[in-house]
Amino acid sequence: MSEMSSGADHGPGRYEIRLTGHLDPRWAGWFDGMAVTNDADGTTVIRGDVVDQSALHGLLHKVRDIGLPLVSVVRLDADQPPPPSPRKARP
Amino acid sequence: MRAQPQPVIPVTVLETKLYVPRPRPGQVSRPRLRERLDRATRATLVLVSAPAGFGKTTLLTEWLAASSADGGRRTAAWLSLDAGDNDPAHFWTYVIAGLRSLVPDMGASALELLQSPQALPVEAVLTTLINDLGTVDGDVVLVLDDYHVIESREVHDAMGFLLDHLPPQLHLVISSRADPPLPLARLRAGGELVEVRAADLRFTAEEAAAYLNDAMGLQLTAPDVAALEGRTEGWIAALQLAALSMQGRADAGDFIAGFAGDDRYVVDYLVEEVVQRQPQPVQDFLLRTSVLTRMSGPLCDAVAGSTGGKAMLQALERGNLFLVPLDDQRRWYRYHHLFADVLQARLMDEHPELLPDLHAAASRWYADNGEPAEAIRHAMAGGDVQQAADLVERTLAAVRRDRQDALLRSWLEALPEDVIRVRPVLCIAAAGSLLSTAEVEGVERRLRDAERWRDLVFDDAGRQGERPPELVVVNEQEFAWLPTWVSIYRAGLALALGDGPATVLHARRALEVLDEDDVVGLGAATALIGLASWGTGDLATTYAAYVSCLTTFERAGHVADVMGIAITVGDLCVAFGRLDEAMGTYESALALAAAQGGPAPRGSADMYVGISGVHFERGDLGAAHAALLRCRELGEHLGLPQNRYRSRVAMARLLEAEGDLDGALELLDEAERLYVGDFSPRVRPVPARKARVWVKQGRLDDVRSWARREGLAPDDELSYLREFEHVTLARALLVEDRLDEAAGLLDRLQEAAQSGGRTGAVIEVLVLRALVAQRQGDPRTALAAVSRALELAEPEGHVQVFVDEGEPMASLLRAAAASGHGPAYLHRLLAGQGATAPSSRRPRSGDPVEPLSERERDVLRLLATDLSGPEIARRLVVSLNTVRTHTKNIYAKLGVNSRRAAVRRAEELDL
Repeated sequence: MSEMSSGADHGPGRYEIRLTGHLDPRWAGWFDGMAVTNDADGTTVIRGDVVDQSALHGLLHKVRDIGLPLVSVVRLDADQPPPPSPRKARP
Repeated sequence: MRAQPQPVIPVTVLETKLYVPRPRPGQVSRPRLRERLDRATRATLVLVSAPAGFGKTTLLTEWLAASSADGGRRTAAWLSLDAGDNDPAHFWTYVIAGLRSLVPDMGASALELLQSPQALPVEAVLTTLINDLGTVDGDVVLVLDDYHVIESREVHDAMGFLLDHLPPQLHLVISSRADPPLPLARLRAGGELVEVRAADLRFTAEEAAAYLNDAMGLQLTAPDVAALEGRTEGWIAALQLAALSMQGRADAGDFIAGFAGDDRYVVDYLVEEVVQRQPQPVQDFLLRTSVLTRMSGPLCDAVAGSTGGKAMLQALERGNLFLVPLDDQRRWYRYHHLFADVLQARLMDEHPELLPDLHAAASRWYADNGEPAEAIRHAMAGGDVQQAADLVERTLAAVRRDRQDALLRSWLEALPEDVIRVRPVLCIAAAGSLLSTAEVEGVERRLRDAERWRDLVFDDAGRQGERPPELVVVNEQEFAWLPTWVSIYRAGLALALGDGPATVLHARRALEVLDEDDVVGLGAATALIGLASWGTGDLATTYAAYVSCLTTFERAGHVADVMGIAITVGDLCVAFGRLDEAMGTYESALALAAAQGGPAPRGSADMYVGISGVHFERGDLGAAHAALLRCRELGEHLGLPQNRYRSRVAMARLLEAEGDLDGALELLDEAERLYVGDFSPRVRPVPARKARVWVKQGRLDDVRSWARREGLAPDDELSYLREFEHVTLARALLVEDRLDEAAGLLDRLQEAAQSGGRTGAVIEVLVLRALVAQRQGDPRTALAAVSRALELAEPEGHVQVFVDEGEPMASLLRAAAASGHGPAYLHRLLAGQGATAPSSRRPRSGDPVEPLSERERDVLRLLATDLSGPEIARRLVVSLNTVRTHTKNIYAKLGVNSRRAAVRRAEELDL
């Protein structure tokens, strides 16, 4: 009945975390090797694979710790290449 | 399962975690926020919740300094939390240590509970702490800084419990980057929450101007200030960095224009500005030391590979480079978190190849300087799991000693599976850790790994042979004991699964291969045999196992274990009818504790319940009362978990003997609620005790439904486990005049008890048999039974079992006397019949000295040992100064001026 019980949502996945402000791409290493890119709208996207939900939350803690406002967290479909413009909270 | 290898030594308290930060010069005063915090005294919780760099700590520092400058009576304890505090024992030990910096005696019992070998629900620990807090004069503020590092459900739940039972004196202040999972909505709705959030903490334009122009002396124009305030959105850390970047710059206006026109992460931009203006050696130092969560000169030297770390740190502090002192001696510092994060990100980007070496150097330094937990953390951070595993192996004994179970578990969880599997010492540690939390499945897997290594390396006698090359052993001592501990944990697992025979089998196997130095192993294995044979009614084996266990722990001086085992040995002695031996068991356990000094260990209260029981059997109800009173004086926290119901049962029995049957029932109801099971069999269930009182009250319907509920009938097959219930049933049959059934049951019970050597039960059964025969009009049988009972009872002085039966028994005793039975003992019995019991304990006539406080007594007990002052301080988890103050008070109260004289005087006064 529930998708939760399959465990698929708890396993590895590809995520995109969007923040307000431009974070230097040199932070990639600090964010466990995720790609850090700056968008023209003044936001930063941290994109990459996480092994499970704990890893994702660990990543969000790191975002919290540097004090940049969070805009969105989006799960990208793991089976397909990331769509060109994934859902954003704000264009 | 595994007890401690040594007497308990409290976790070493790191003073830097308790350091109350001092306001820094040039801080902007924030009266609007201080006033809000002043409402803390009327609220349950103050929550300062905002992201990093919003000045949470600074605000609290200012508030505390201002309120103490006001001459307010408020005092504050401060605890800087870190990831290690997710271990509940660790967390609460630090909370108490923090409170003790204000009230030296605070939480003594709670600390003891935290250190005791038997795990206890944290509510029990908190209850004693809350009671202590309730007696404090004036307000106490407890600040928990950086609460966001806490992820442990157990700690959050316990905090919720504390909030629900907060004494009015205590005011909790939590600072956190994320709202903690506490019942905030409820507190908010009830007006019990004072909140300071990011929007409140941001610098207003006025505060920004005051900071930049007054505190930093930058002489900026109003538009410049507005531009900075706008760009940073009042984020204090960013404003501080901006001010640092502008210091000594002629072109502040240009800088601000450049900064305001850039949408880079402000901290990136500014740290770049600040760091790039430093000379190269300073830049290197900053980058390399950014991996450290705390810094001292020597540690920085080790990590940065240079000398002069101490001077560098002092220079950085003078230059305002986001260095936060962690003590007043300027020994330990840390970087501001944001600053450290930016430096680390740079380091990872520019010199990722340095990271393993930097962490390895930090790990080595901590290992060499006696901080294994930090050493392990750095080894793991540097990716050197082998080094981390080596350190965990070496630290096992200390971790067990300090009861840091959660910490050990977190290490074992963090180590990769393939690293643990080739290290039998870690396999077995993991099995033990899981067994203590009853995670049976995980235990099996770990034990199988450990057994595989045992079979490869050890022969049947436990001798080591060749080792396969893939095997890793760092801790040879623990490895040598592998065969023993595999079998002990196997036995423990079997016991947890209710398999008695397998328990005994594995425990015996453990004993076969036991090393004579492995005291704890010996104790654990014999106790397991004892427990398993007890359940089958084989009391002789149980007794033999427990006594050898007791002797082992006595010899090794493991007082806490001695207490736990003495209870069982005492119970068994009473069952065998050996009252002298029971008394001796309790008394020597107490004597051992006294000889070791220090505060009375947990389990002391249980000894007095046992002592009371022996007095009771001997008919000395006064002494039985006195012993129970002593148990109550010691307090519930000095009792093992079972003592809460055992002490009530003992008291109920006394009330019953004195005729207060309703009072007895009330206590038994309480006992029933407080009953906690352990591995030992439930041989004297509380419902049966209640049934005995009902028999006396003539509530036969209640008795009958009890017997039905428990499935008891006179023609049952008998077993030791139900003996107490069947004797109770016989009492009911007697009152119901079902005499033939009673006689038949009692005759069978007598035979069973006799063949099991349970003289205590034989005496009671004979007494009842005599009463039945008397009612049947069979004086010969009655007299024979009572004479046999007297023969068995006289050597150990059983009295109460006769006295309890009132006049019918008195007439039988007179008949026995007439037929020439031992006159002296019978006289005592007849005198006890209805006579008031003698009291063996006189109250001490007016103490000649001012009474010592409980804490002073603790210190006094330790003064009688050869511990040094600092050792006493460590043992009591207080500062040396506190010990000195107590010592001074003790001297004054006893009228002496030396340690020797104080100890001698205390002995004279029997203190």
